[in-house]
Amino acid sequence: MKQILLITDGCSNVGQSPVMTASLARQEGITVNVIGIVDYGTIGELGSLEIREIAKAGGGMSRISGTEQLAQTMQMVTRKTVVQTIQQAVNRELKQILGKTSVEDLPPDKRSEVVEVMDELTETTPLDIVLLIDASASMKPKLAAVEEAIRDLMISLGAREGRSRVAVFHFPGRHGGEEAVLDQVWTEDLSGLRSLFQRLPVRGATPTGPAILKVIDFFRYGTINGNQTGPEERDEREGMLGDYVV
Amino acid sequence: MKEKGCSVTTSYKAGIPAGTLVTGKWRGSRYLIERRLGQGANGVVYLVQQAGTRNLYALKMGYDTFDLQSEINVLKALQRQGKPNAAEERDLSYLVEVDDFSYADKEIPFYVMRYVKGEPLSKFLARRGSQWLDVAGLNLLGQLAILHKGGWVFGDLKPDNVLVSTYGDVELIDYGGVSQHGRSVKQFTEWYDRGFWNAGGRTADAAYDWFSFAVVCIHMMAESKLKAAARQLPQTRSTADLIQIIEQEPRLKSYSGWLKKAISGSFKNTEEAYDTWKRMISRTPARKSVRRTPGWLKGAFAISLFLLVCAIYLTLR
Repeated sequence: MKQILLITDGCSNVGQSPVMTASLARQEGITVNVIGIVDYGTIGELGSLEIREIAKAGGGMSRISGTEQLAQTMQMVTRKTVVQTIQQAVNRELKQILGKTSVEDLPPDKRSEVVEVMDELTETTPLDIVLLIDASASMKPKLAAVEEAIRDLMISLGAREGRSRVAVFHFPGRHGGEEAVLDQVWTEDLSGLRSLFQRLPVRGATPTGPAILKVIDFFRYGTINGNQTGPEERDEREGMLGDYVV
Repeated sequence: MKEKGCSVTTSYKAGIPAGTLVTGKWRGSRYLIERRLGQGANGVVYLVQQAGTRNLYALKMGYDTFDLQSEINVLKALQRQGKPNAAEERDLSYLVEVDDFSYADKEIPFYVMRYVKGEPLSKFLARRGSQWLDVAGLNLLGQLAILHKGGWVFGDLKPDNVLVSTYGDVELIDYGGVSQHGRSVKQFTEWYDRGFWNAGGRTADAAYDWFSFAVVCIHMMAESKLKAAARQLPQTRSTADLIQIIEQEPRLKSYSGWLKKAISGSFKNTEEAYDTWKRMISRTPARKSVRRTPGWLKGAFAISLFLLVCAIYLTLR
């Protein structure tokens, strides 16, 4: 299962529309979640609209959060998305087998069995998350909190039975051509790491759209340079679901 | 993780007014809402009266079908486990029924459970005095021991989830955070979370609950110190801060040995934690020295004894 978690505090202003690139991600089987981070004042009408739209197009969910609740919000969004992705797969199966459209339509005792299976899958399905962090000028003071929240998320992911990996990107890069910078390749453990964000930009641009494109590439090829590192396959999961639900 | 549920469900999150009749979609049972009792991560709990009877129940309406059903599954599993053990009669009737309810064009999942009277741990201790932690703590550990024995971990242990009745009987409420042993802890609250204090992971094991239990004790006896320690930078937060509070706070002194063991997770199992607590509280309290008999009382006693002897002598003479 693949997710992008975008953390930003404003509007994109360079390159392709992030709503469009999020939609592309979704077609690649990657869910895009967005957390808008605010501490003082609001994120602005335009910013919050864009955040909602990106998440909608990316098949995920959006939340607005202060730095205080960021860790909590990130975990909630991540877990909910895992559940939702499984729910969608289960609902497809249900429709095929029983003609019911969703878990909610089942009588409570049947529902209980299905949810038991879903719980199991939520805990065991392998999970790959790319954290895409907006590091434009206005985000600078919030990055310490973001890093802390990422570490906290790792504690929770590390407790899952299934394998959970995280990679971290920030955007923009130092110079014009660099839309997003890889800070951390796939890892299951962050505890040895001293600092996540080192090469921070001086630019104020927010190329959210191009950054998402770059992450899609990363998911596709395993690295940003295009070297393949075989990711686990989807068919396997679909098959497993079929087994369980019948 | 406290905040749950999607924005679409907010309309009834605000609460369903008292007097609303809840009719089950599948089984048709009817319950009259009397008042709101509280709120958990997965839903809102109401005090209800079964229509046509005088029976009171607690009814929990979920924000999300999956989350609530997952919680119900845990309750069901616990009930199944409770059955062979007939002495544990209180657990048998916990879950009454499960159904859906249509409200404001939405299907809200709900379940009905036994209504337990009591007050949250902090209120109980404030009213009865902090020395009642001895009893409440013991009963709480007893409840945890049952849970752990069945292969479950409570997870979100905090003062609000511990309901205490008049004489210190304890009931755990909100089973939304209960996880199977070895899985990830579903819900937690930062103060009582092992990960928050950089003291270990969030894999559900008995030690996770001991840790939370210890922080709950610290919270009850030394809230301001705990608050200050929790406010530190995340990298510097550690169990050393908790140990320091335990050693500094006089009210925690008698518990200190037990608490340190709980924080380091070094009990063999929860029965041992329970027994150790029991031994600790049944020691003759060294906290207050026995009041010494005042001198005048001794004198008076001597005089009365002397008078008694005289009286007997005079009578028998």
